[in-house]
Amino acid sequence: MRNILLIAQREYKEQVRGRTFLITTILLPAVFAGVFYLSFLSGKHSGTDKHIAIACSDPALAAEIRTEILSDTDAHSTVDLFTAEMPGMLMDSDRSKLVSEVDSKAIDGFFWVDVPATGPIQATYEAQTAGDFVTSERLQSALNHALLRGRLVEHGISAAAADSLLKIVKVDTRQIKNGKEVTSNAVSSFYSAYIMALLLTMTTMIYGLNVGRSVIQEKTSRIFEVMLATVKAGDMLTGKLIGIGAVGLTQILIWIAAGAIFAGSALGAQYLSGNLQIHISLLQIVLFGVYFLLGYTLNSALFAGLGATLETEQELQQYSPLAALPVWLSFSMILLISTNPNSIWVVAASLFPPCTPIVMFLRMGSQMPPLWQIGASIALMLLAIWAVLWFSTRLYRIGILMYGKRATLPEMMRWLRYS
Amino acid sequence: MPVVELSAVTKAYQDKVAVNQLSFRIEPGQMFGLLGPNGSGKTSSIRMMIGITAPDSGSITLFDQPFSRSSLTRVGYLPEERGLYKKMKVLDQLIFMGSLRGLSAEEAQKRAIAWAKKLDIAHSILKKTEELSKGMQQKIQFISALIHEPELIIMDEPFSGLDPVNATLLQDTLLEQKTQGKTILFSTHRMDQVEKLCDSIALIHQGNLVLSGRVREIKSRYKRDRVIVEFQGDDSFLRSPEIAQAKNYSGHAEIQLKEDGDAQKLLVEAVSKATIYRFELMEPSLEEIFIQTVGGKVDA
Repeated sequence: MRNILLIAQREYKEQVRGRTFLITTILLPAVFAGVFYLSFLSGKHSGTDKHIAIACSDPALAAEIRTEILSDTDAHSTVDLFTAEMPGMLMDSDRSKLVSEVDSKAIDGFFWVDVPATGPIQATYEAQTAGDFVTSERLQSALNHALLRGRLVEHGISAAAADSLLKIVKVDTRQIKNGKEVTSNAVSSFYSAYIMALLLTMTTMIYGLNVGRSVIQEKTSRIFEVMLATVKAGDMLTGKLIGIGAVGLTQILIWIAAGAIFAGSALGAQYLSGNLQIHISLLQIVLFGVYFLLGYTLNSALFAGLGATLETEQELQQYSPLAALPVWLSFSMILLISTNPNSIWVVAASLFPPCTPIVMFLRMGSQMPPLWQIGASIALMLLAIWAVLWFSTRLYRIGILMYGKRATLPEMMRWLRYS
Repeated sequence: MPVVELSAVTKAYQDKVAVNQLSFRIEPGQMFGLLGPNGSGKTSSIRMMIGITAPDSGSITLFDQPFSRSSLTRVGYLPEERGLYKKMKVLDQLIFMGSLRGLSAEEAQKRAIAWAKKLDIAHSILKKTEELSKGMQQKIQFISALIHEPELIIMDEPFSGLDPVNATLLQDTLLEQKTQGKTILFSTHRMDQVEKLCDSIALIHQGNLVLSGRVREIKSRYKRDRVIVEFQGDDSFLRSPEIAQAKNYSGHAEIQLKEDGDAQKLLVEAVSKATIYRFELMEPSLEEIFIQTVGGKVDA
């Protein structure tokens, strides 16, 4: 045990004193915060600051649509009313004129609303950007709202009453936890869990790969033979896993402490409000630590065994998609996880050990999974870790003394048999 | 009570037999040479002695006990495949290695500094290993193997890559260890390097024991039939009937006597013909004995 701790201590000191630790501790959350804030801002500003012209054969309807659009002050839209050549009628020449205005970038697009005497209304939004679905939806809503208001007024309802009837009702989200209603913000809960899942992904991957890299570095520096004359291969591996895992935990604790200090500051209060409000419970923090340790041990055991069979760090890089595979799988299910966190597929993915840490945290963004599922996922991860360690320690014991070439599959099978 | 004893040890890797029924013993306080050409099974034997690999059959005892990992704190090992943590400072590295072998950090530091002064690397003790020359790194590995004052010192090709000055320094250090009662096992393919140092040897070839025993005894089994003569004057004595073959390099002659050749008669003849500065009846070197025994060429 003394030797395991000495080896863990050496690994810990070497990595924590390294430049990489300092850089990733500062840079990783900074990059995450940047990406997260950018995606938030881009969502908030999508479809805003548009300069649109409304061409409608019914000038009253056009004015109504304009009012509707301008009522959405967050959109910061500029809306012009297009004057047709022939009042009350839209002609091809009007369209051509508007097209050339879009082409010359005088306007971003035009909303063409043809109201025939009989038949359905034809509405088109034409712009240079084909994928601007936010503006398109905003225009559709404004048109329908204006038409509905007009129809209500036509049926003898006063304009004030119509406005009252059409007043938009904001839907608040309340979550039921343990039979009690609690106020929650769906967006912020999701983002909080999303950030934690991402951090968990990055740390377990980075530190898992670090173990593999460390094994290869020791192999190339030929230190193993000296070490094995004193300590057992299993103790070396255990010490390495504990040491590097402790580095990961240290980094996470630094992030949590820094996050808590930021959240408690005036600057934090200013930024972390509304949809950016962070909701992290104590249970989530504890589970973050538990899933980090489990995810890290699973990845690092895998890469330690793999590292012992390889010769260079470049060869190890070729295998990094192995660690990324569960990440891709988990994040590809993000829509299903956030809308239906208890579906059979989501539960199955959260119980599949390589995906467990990420999917569990994404599920927590919508709803805390039942305790039995959390317990089962931890038990399954422990079982998977045991199985991977069984193979890895056997490959490790022999692989670390094999120099010169990458091991082939038949050789690895033989090593498993020898051990 | 032997420090190390191998009894009919065999180790094979797939269909290649690395060590075959190998038996020898190393007595306390001896300097023992495990000799043989490259690939003869020396490193495989050492790895089994210190538990890195296990024998397929046969038995190994360490300090008169069946192999146990707890005995390894009494062993200092310098492997052929040398290794150090490149990013670690020399002192930290030596403290770490000493601690692994049971020393306290304070004691390890004290001994590391004393050794560094002795081997003239004190000025580099706070540098990172990767900043040092190969020779310096070898000295650090040497200290690392001895820092815990082991009773058994195993050195696999200890002088390879060292310049003559440093090789002599390490050789003297090992002789000093021997006078302190330590048992030393040398493993090398350079038989000439260690034959003057070793008390006993085991010569192995293709995993098999060829010769073993005390160096003097082994050499005494072989006749002294080689003569070196340094002379000036008439060289006609080189055609003496006692000589089977002679090579003359301008006053330095290497002579092979006949099976029944008499060196004393040759000396009398030589003195009568030329001025003799040196007349030495040579015993065969271990390498020559090895070649005679296996009937092949040593891969040096």
